[in-house]
Amino acid sequence: MQNMQELTILPSVDFSEVYSTGSGSIYQSDSENCWYIDFAGKLARFDYRNLLKLKKAVYQIDIENLLLNSDKAPDLEIIFICACDHCYVLSLIQIIALKELLQGTFVMLDLNHIIYDRLHRIVA
Amino acid sequence: MKDIIRAKCLISSDVETLINQQIKKEAHSSSIYLSMASWCNRNGYDFSSEYFFKQAEEERMHQLKFYKYILDMGGTAISPDVTNIKIEYNSFREVFEEALEQEIAVTQSIKNIAARCHKEQDYVTLEFLNWFFREQREEEYKARRALELFDVIGEEGTGRWQIDKHVGQIKYDSEA
Repeated sequence: MQNMQELTILPSVDFSEVYSTGSGSIYQSDSENCWYIDFAGKLARFDYRNLLKLKKAVYQIDIENLLLNSDKAPDLEIIFICACDHCYVLSLIQIIALKELLQGTFVMLDLNHIIYDRLHRIVA
Repeated sequence: MKDIIRAKCLISSDVETLINQQIKKEAHSSSIYLSMASWCNRNGYDFSSEYFFKQAEEERMHQLKFYKYILDMGGTAISPDVTNIKIEYNSFREVFEEALEQEIAVTQSIKNIAARCHKEQDYVTLEFLNWFFREQREEEYKARRALELFDVIGEEGTGRWQIDKHVGQIKYDSEA
């Protein structure tokens, strides 16, 4: 949260960091109404619909099953989102990291919603 | 930081998921009624068949109402796939027993959505659901009355013929 505040003070920076972990970060752009995901070596832009589709796609992966199955197949998952320019080919470790990043992000967005309500929307 | 998600969609993703599940239930319900209409028709219960055709239409209308609500609120409405609709019933009475069970399941499931809305203070969706609660009063009443005909008239002799004749006349016009 502290990082987020520091970043928003800078006038030239249009990005606010929503959440970041050791393996990646998600930024929000207020002027473009979208999010930028810095993960697996690329920065990808996601609008509202695509972010929700990504969340759904990642949350639906059965990580436990991937961990327990002893197939010889490589543990790669391709995350492809309909009508979205980006696609991720991720290893199991990366999937866990991306899920953690998204979970943190949605908690922060929820928190932002609550703060926004309290500060700007609800007349005291 | 802007609250983009809220700006895009009025309902939370949890409520959206619940309503999408409800859409599926209504679609399923509509198909079951259609199947009941077919069974009744095949077995010579004309009025009951007609009654179930009407019920199927109503459930379809409920499904669309939920569907459009999600879209109006900025969410993603999902068109459901409906499978496992049974074709045969053991008796005339069984059809009506299942019809009542069906309506009870729908009422309970809408109550469940309302409980979630209360938790989230989603008064907008609650107000929307009120229409369905009124509707379910009527639906359960009709289904219960139809089933009661089996006890009141009895199935012996021309009983089933009488029951079939009365099913179409069940009306709910309570002022309560």
